[in-house]
Amino acid sequence: MSALTGTWRLTRFIVRRDRVRLAIWIVAIAALAYAQGISLHDVYPDQAAVQSYVDLFGDNPALIAFAGPGYGFDDPNLGVVLVNEIQVFGCIATALMSIFLLNRSTRAEEDSERAALVRSTRVGRHAPTAAAVGVVAAANVITGTLCALAFIAADYPVVGSIALAGSIAAAGLVFAGVTAVAAQAASSGRATIGGASAALGAAFVLRAAGDIGDNGLSWLSPIGWAQAVRAYADERWWTLGLCLVVAALLVLGAFWLATKRDLGSGMRPESAGPPGAASWIRRPIGLAFRLQRGSLFGWIVGLFITGVVFGSLGEDVDRLFEENPALRDVFAQLGAGDPTDAFMATSMTMLALMAGGFAVSATLHLHGEEGAGRVESILSAAVSRQRWAIGYLAVAVAGTTIMVAAAGAGVGIAYAVVAGQPGEIMPLVGAALVTVPGVLVLVGLAMLLVGFAPRASMAAWAGLALMVLIGFLGDILQLPDWALDLSPLQHLPAVPAESASAPPIVAVTLVAGALAAAGLWGLRSRDIQLH
Amino acid sequence: MKKFGSFRALDGLDLEVASGEVHGFLGPNGSGKSVTMRILLGLMRHDGGDLALLGGDPWRDAVKLHRRLAYVPGDTNLWPNLTGGEIIDLIGELRGGLDHGRRAELIDRFDLDPRKRARAYSKGNRQKVALVAALASDAELLMLDEPTAGLDPLMEAVFQDCILRAKGEGRTVLLSSHILAEVEKLCDRITIIRQGRTVQSGTLAELRHLTRTTVSATTDRPPERLAELPGVHDVRVDDGLVSFDVDSDNLDGAIRRLTELGLRSLSSHPPTLEDLFLRHYDEELTEAGVEQNER
Repeated sequence: MSALTGTWRLTRFIVRRDRVRLAIWIVAIAALAYAQGISLHDVYPDQAAVQSYVDLFGDNPALIAFAGPGYGFDDPNLGVVLVNEIQVFGCIATALMSIFLLNRSTRAEEDSERAALVRSTRVGRHAPTAAAVGVVAAANVITGTLCALAFIAADYPVVGSIALAGSIAAAGLVFAGVTAVAAQAASSGRATIGGASAALGAAFVLRAAGDIGDNGLSWLSPIGWAQAVRAYADERWWTLGLCLVVAALLVLGAFWLATKRDLGSGMRPESAGPPGAASWIRRPIGLAFRLQRGSLFGWIVGLFITGVVFGSLGEDVDRLFEENPALRDVFAQLGAGDPTDAFMATSMTMLALMAGGFAVSATLHLHGEEGAGRVESILSAAVSRQRWAIGYLAVAVAGTTIMVAAAGAGVGIAYAVVAGQPGEIMPLVGAALVTVPGVLVLVGLAMLLVGFAPRASMAAWAGLALMVLIGFLGDILQLPDWALDLSPLQHLPAVPAESASAPPIVAVTLVAGALAAAGLWGLRSRDIQLH
Repeated sequence: MKKFGSFRALDGLDLEVASGEVHGFLGPNGSGKSVTMRILLGLMRHDGGDLALLGGDPWRDAVKLHRRLAYVPGDTNLWPNLTGGEIIDLIGELRGGLDHGRRAELIDRFDLDPRKRARAYSKGNRQKVALVAALASDAELLMLDEPTAGLDPLMEAVFQDCILRAKGEGRTVLLSSHILAEVEKLCDRITIIRQGRTVQSGTLAELRHLTRTTVSATTDRPPERLAELPGVHDVRVDDGLVSFDVDSDNLDGAIRRLTELGLRSLSSHPPTLEDLFLRHYDEELTEAGVEQNER
């Protein structure tokens, strides 16, 4: 029996087991690529519009950090705009696909007893990793092929389309290798995802710093290599070759590491934790915070950075809209008045809707605890259901408020820097905070569902989706007023384009509170679900 | 009574636990033991019947009652990124505090590493976390839902010791279990349920009265006509060794007959709870078989 015995059978098994996940990842990435490719034709219809885009992106550090160094900006075409818009996010998407899918079939299997069961049969030491890498590599190749076809179908030059799609697939392949190594080194599936994601974050930051500083740091990042193919701008194919070589070396390294460790253990043992609980954890609100601390921190940082990007655009708004009226339609909510204020107000709405994601997930965490059977331990102690639920509501409300404030601060600080107006920071934080009651309505809605219809509580996400739809497409779709009024954000003043006034803010807050109170009452009256 | 839609999960359940006793709560999987526990904890409402726990209403007075009890769920699900020690403190504190000396002693006796994160624990270790949290409290009622599932025999012995000590301290224990030897060793009284209905309840002695004793013997002369005796069942002869089951009321007659045959060795043992349990379970299987045949 060789170390690879059983690889083909495991390959078929992984495809069978993950067929839905694989299909969703591949189709979603390719579909987004196609949608983006099509839409750019409308937003940048002529060379002048392309030039204005290039002017904007060429010298804005925040945008360079997110998009890339702007290969081909000297003599721009719509292709380099597409690259700038989609490449980094495409690379991150395929990298995440590789990280999650590969971990799922390798290290995560070892955490359960399943890997031992599989390895007790006629399956070689390296077969599970080889099969998983094979499936994930194929998924990246298929994603790349579909993306290339999508770009070509969206009327971009063939060679550049292949280079762009190839760069997206190549980044995914490198991170398949990274994850294969992480799966050997880490002590659990969770730690594998953590390690590989940290590597992805480092790759993003290195190339962001390198692209802004133009100092070569980008050559330390796989995403930097993928971008350096210079799609639509005199392609350099060897950088994709570099990705493939590194991916292959990483996979070989993973095989080597696998011979050095026991199944189920890691290179690095999991560090010991505290032997007892700090006193603040020992109450429902402390526990709710402790369980969501990591994600809360991530959300706050993410929203702050997004705020910085928006704020850094503040100075360019006037010029941007003059040069490209098509962009004006993208910000459909812009009324008359000062374009900068209107842009800021729209930014605040966008940031609030993003915070809505946290608001919903933090509240639905309640139902997650119930579904996972952990709530029994809490509620069989001297803790009422309300006290338990209020702990989560408090984290949701405080977390939402803090992250919206952080987003506003990001906008304010960046705008203060680019416009030289430090006095704008606090007003912009205030403008962001005005949106908070609208987001809290989502907390109330989620609590209502958890209280009365726990099995349907995922419908709270539909509430967020509706608010996003109304916020961004309401005017374009020419929805009737009653439909627009469904979104609580519509009832709040769009500061700083409008002036703040207390009555709508108070009213929306009361609605959120009433929904949550009703949900708490419902929770008190129903059976806790059987695990 | 408890209904889930039209399904009657509990119907005709009669469970009475006296203060200070260790009460065994037995039943096959799906018979309603966990649902009963959850109703007693006020996590679920009952749809009919009378219910009182420590003199209160489990639904209405849940928080007040929970200060006086400690519960170990049958399927211990813990927060994967908290350590065992953190979870013990958390649950203990939420219940109203735990005895730190006893916490340390229990962690030591159960050989639990409290610095490990819950995701790294085996099923047995997760169970230990829940047990330490419950036993380190000074709750007057311990409600344990199959608490030893996943524990090795050594740890089972530690557990039994802890329960006996709790009993010595005057605490009340409601112990649902599949481990019949454990119930036999620990429990003063037991209640057996099947399909949500109490089928038998009483002290071990009372229940044994209803059952047969198993006798094995070797005799000088061949054991003839034993099966004709009243109350003797299932006679098996194997190379001079005869064994049979006999109703408790007819034990005397059966032993007399063996003596007449020239008794050389004799062993008898009272029915284990295993036998009790299997008999009730068997009937159920038989009934199910009959139904199938009729169809």
